Amino acid sequence: MASVANTAHPIAEPIGLGRRVLALIPGLLLLAAVGYAGKFIEQFIAAYTKSRHIVFPNIEYVLWAIVIGLLIANTVGVPRVFQAGVATYEFWLKTGIVLLGSRFLLGDILHLGGISLLLVAVALTLSLTFMHILGRSFKLKPKLTSLLAVGSSICGVSAIIAAKPAIDADDEDASYAIAAILALGALSLFTFPLIGHSLHLSDKAYGLWAGLAVDNTAEATAAGALYSDAAGKVAVLAKTSRNALIGFVVLAYAIYWASRGQAQTIGNKAQFLWQKFPKFVLGFLLISLLATLGIFTKPQLTSIANLSRWAFLLTFAGVGLRTSFHELGKQGWRPFAVGAIGEVFIALVTLGLVYGADRFLHL
Amino acid sequence: MPDPTAPRRGLSLDVYAVALALVLALLVRLNVIPAVKW
Repeated sequence: MASVANTAHPIAEPIGLGRRVLALIPGLLLLAAVGYAGKFIEQFIAAYTKSRHIVFPNIEYVLWAIVIGLLIANTVGVPRVFQAGVATYEFWLKTGIVLLGSRFLLGDILHLGGISLLLVAVALTLSLTFMHILGRSFKLKPKLTSLLAVGSSICGVSAIIAAKPAIDADDEDASYAIAAILALGALSLFTFPLIGHSLHLSDKAYGLWAGLAVDNTAEATAAGALYSDAAGKVAVLAKTSRNALIGFVVLAYAIYWASRGQAQTIGNKAQFLWQKFPKFVLGFLLISLLATLGIFTKPQLTSIANLSRWAFLLTFAGVGLRTSFHELGKQGWRPFAVGAIGEVFIALVTLGLVYGADRFLHL
Repeated sequence: MPDPTAPRRGLSLDVYAVALALVLALLVRLNVIPAVKW
């Protein structure tokens, strides 16, 4: 995923910090407008149906914000002046996740995070094996298969970006894998809540499933929040546990490809792991520790949780605005087919694991 | 479109996100910013 610094300006043309910040403003305003429009529509429909005694399901602002973003991105498009600011959605996602740490006691994190890690380890082994068999059957290039496997089993685009230089993969393969993962992430936003409701999953079970099965952190957070606030919280925790494993999986792939003479050997493995480790996980744990120690009063915890929701509002607007079906459609059907079959497999495996965990480990 | 796979320079996005979140939490703790509504 592109960072704010990367997207705000071309690297070859250094510009001052002030101008870089200014360049972000139009896109930030667009994120806020789209996100707030989603919130307004949710509240308007709720008030309208209530005043007229109409029974109507509450459609969360998350879905409205994503749909408005998708409509803009796929009709008029996002003009260049907005792109740098829109690209900050991932920054708001991470800020929101760290702030959300205040809503967890450290004990809850250890309990649910531990279960998540256990399930991730099982799902990871099965999904990596399955993706490689699938890639071979569809005659994909082995490194493209590796990227798709990493992207679909760990954390989507971030994992592909982390793995690409480590296994010395082509730019083209990385673009294919990213496009496939993004397209499948967009689909999961609409399918996961429907499946969850039809199976009558509890908030915890659904949140755990979304966090374990949906690839990108932004989509996993949105898929959880689309179900319920509580499910969104659990989805973020499960996804964060999964993200924490990124370094180990990328390291394993780097060692594998280096052993075949097709990637550089990793010198200092501890340094490599630290470099790939998502640092926002530490921020999430720190805020949770502060909350557990009673540093914040109850109203202060509510304020921090609400700040997290405002940050997510910008994120969800960005998820819709950055998804261009036209761009995704250009990438060819085979990586998409492998990704899609792999995703269905991972979704089924994780659903089975979550059912098992709900029954035997008492979520 | 920028190349999303280009190597990052300087501090990662995560560090800035953690810093902003901690600053916001501190401001809330010190009651510098009023109660945040949703």
